[in-house]
This record gives sequence, C-alpha cells and structure tokens, in this order.
Amino acid sequence: MTTPARRRLMRDFKRLQEDPPAGVSGAPSDNNIMLWNAVIFGPHDTPFEDGTFKLTIEFTEEYPNKPPTVRFISKMFHPNVYADGSICLDILQNRWSPTYDVSAILTSIQSLLHDPNPNSPANNEAAQLYRENRREYEKKVAAIVQESWNDDEEEGEEDEEGEEISVGRTKP
Amino acid sequence: MASEQHAFAYDPEKNYDEDIMAQQRQIEKEIAETQPLVSGLFTFDDIVEEYTSEDAVYRHKIEDLKTRYANMRKTRGDGNCFFRAFGFAFLESLIKDPTDYSRFLELVTKSKDELIALGFPQFTLEDFYDTFIDIVKQVKSPGTVEKLVETFNDQGLSDYFVVYLRLIVSGFLQKKEDEYIHFIDGERTVKQFCSQEVEPMGKESDHIHIVALTKALEVPIRVEYMDREGLTCNAFTFSASDTSDDSLVKPAVSLLYRPGHYDILYPL
Repeated sequence: MTTPARRRLMRDFKRLQEDPPAGVSGAPSDNNIMLWNAVIFGPHDTPFEDGTFKLTIEFTEEYPNKPPTVRFISKMFHPNVYADGSICLDILQNRWSPTYDVSAILTSIQSLLHDPNPNSPANNEAAQLYRENRREYEKKVAAIVQESWNDDEEEGEEDEEGEEISVGRTKP
Repeated sequence: MASEQHAFAYDPEKNYDEDIMAQQRQIEKEIAETQPLVSGLFTFDDIVEEYTSEDAVYRHKIEDLKTRYANMRKTRGDGNCFFRAFGFAFLESLIKDPTDYSRFLELVTKSKDELIALGFPQFTLEDFYDTFIDIVKQVKSPGTVEKLVETFNDQGLSDYFVVYLRLIVSGFLQKKEDEYIHFIDGERTVKQFCSQEVEPMGKESDHIHIVALTKALEVPIRVEYMDREGLTCNAFTFSASDTSDDSLVKPAVSLLYRPGHYDILYPL
C-alpha cells in the first residue's frame, strides 16, 4: 500500500532526477524506498574538494513530518560529524521543516562541509583543529578525501556499467 | 540489555541526539495508541471524572463551562493540538453553516502563490496544499461530520492539513515581520522563530501562533482558559481583524485550553 511517506519519497526521487542540485546525488536502495543511498561531492574551494562521500538516509513512515536519519558511510573528519557517521545539523533535528525534501537535505549537508560549526562539535579533535590549527585540519581532511576514492574503486570493480558508480546501490 | 547497564558516563564522541529522538518517538507512539487525533463527543460529566473530588478548582470550572457549552471533543496531545483542533472545528462549523465557505476557499486558494512568493519551496508546498484543499472541499462533498472525523483521524491526511496551517502561520508572521518581531523572545529573527517554533511538527502553539492564524484566515477564535487561577474559566476572543470589537465578534471556533493542551468546545 502506498503511504504518504512513500508517495512523497517517489516525488522526491523524481525531482532529484529531473532537477538535480550540483554536487549531490541520491536514490532509493534496490528494494526499499525507505532507505536511500546518496553521494556528496566535496565542494570546491574546501579541503573536501574532490572527495566522494557516501551516505545513507533512512526514512520512517512519519516522513516528511519528521526528519530522516542521515549518516556518512564514508569515513569523515568534520567538526559536526560523529565517529559513527551521524551528523549534528539543526535542520535534521529540532529545526526540521516538512517542506524540506531529499534535495534540500543533501545540499544542506554539502554546505555544512563548506561551513563547519565548531561551536556545536560532534568531533572534538576536528573542531579544535578547525579553530586552532587549520593546516593540520586540512591535512586530516585530505586523508579522508583520499580514502573516499578507495571506497569507489572497491565498488567500481563490481560495477560493470561504470556509470553512477556506487549511487543508488546498497553496500555488498 | 539491563545487565549491561552501568553508571552513566558522558561520551563526547557519541551522538545523543539520536537517542533523544528515539525516546521521543517511543513516547509519541504510546500517546498515539491511547488518544485518537480527534475524538468523538464527550459530555462534561465524562471530563469531570478526570479530576479527583479533591480537585475543587477544576471541578468548579467544569460546572462553569456547562453553563455555556454543550459538549466537547478531545484532540491528541502531540504538540499539534491547537492546529488540529482549530482545523477540525472550523471545517465542522462550515458543514453546519456554509455561509463562510466560499470566502475561506478563495482565501486559502490564494495562499499557495503567496507562500511561494515568500520563498517557500514550490515543490513540497504543493504537496501539502493539494491535500489541504482536498480536505477543505470535503465540506461540500461529502459534507458530513462523520467523514470529517474519519479524515482527521487518518494520520497522513490530518498531519498534512496541520503542516499547511503551520505554513500559513509562518508565512503570515514573515509577511508582517516588522509588527511581530516585538513579540518574539530571544535574539531571533521572525524567520528563525518560524523555522524553530512554527514549521516543525509537534511544536506547541503559543499566543502568537493563535493571533497569526486567526488574522491570516480571518476566522475569530474563542479560547476558554482553564487553570488554577480564579473560579471561572477566562474566555478570550482572538478577533480576525485589528479593528473589530471583541464583544461583537461571534467566534467561529471555541477551544478549551488546559495547561499545555487544546480541545474543542461546542457552545449551547
């Protein structure tokens, strides 16, 4: 049976395909519209540039009235990302608006990469380096950017079609 | 799991927000299992049972309500009760007396473009708007209270209706930013207030939400405040315009406020 959440997620997917925002992509996993895989490309002019960061987005039947749970699967080094990949971002918690869709979620996370908020740290080391030792911070970020490519190669080998690598598929 | 529990130690690397949200979901689930979104009719004798005989102030105030109101409906205590109670009660009043229906339909039909002009995303706004208008049109077809009760107890439809009312309030406050900035506490802009306190589902309504909804929809509301002060309920009428005299306004909707919660009242 289609529920409001599933109907809305189909609309979100359609919109994401027809009008894709720059630097992000996402799609439901093969047999579950409530679980999406997404990729955010590291924004230009940030230490995250050239990284391809994978995330999962898990929706409940309460979507869009309640936010989904979003998590980085790729290793991340960022003041507002916890060790388990979960993200400290107000619009995913107490400032969620039902008018946000998947596009808006992904672009908000993308801009969080651009502008970390060191005042509400989820990763103390990253927050401290971001404030006090930007060079070291950028070095640590560069390392996870490199790691994000390794993820691609692993999955790329399994992907015969070559296009849209790792987008829209569940982890093996 | 219980055997693994030990003294709580704060772990700065752990995301506690997710635990809090999971716990909140559990509480919401328990409430949802025991309270319908919009109940059937209750008499005040049913309500009086909620208060022990020692609770003289409340029992006295219920007697006071009986002199002005016939009965009431309860709404679920999920933080959306004001919007849901208002929405149901107003549409029900239009089923009984459709005088105001055309004006209201025209006003809410126009609201979509106004909200888009204010910067709300068209794609998602339309989703809520379409459902909202479908529900408003139920006043004419099928035009029965039974169907309206059914609709408002369908979580998906009912919540979409509430979302759209919240967007109308947010839009109204943003449009009248200069006026309402003085009523917002903390160092917040009107837009920030709306994104924190108006648009998210489950955020409770304050005086400012009621004022905004009343004026945005031009629907006067009466609220009977039932708290521990005094011996009778204090009635307050929110008029639909700044110029009208409260004593002349005939409210389209009457609500009962008990600390933290709104229910629907039916005048005698």
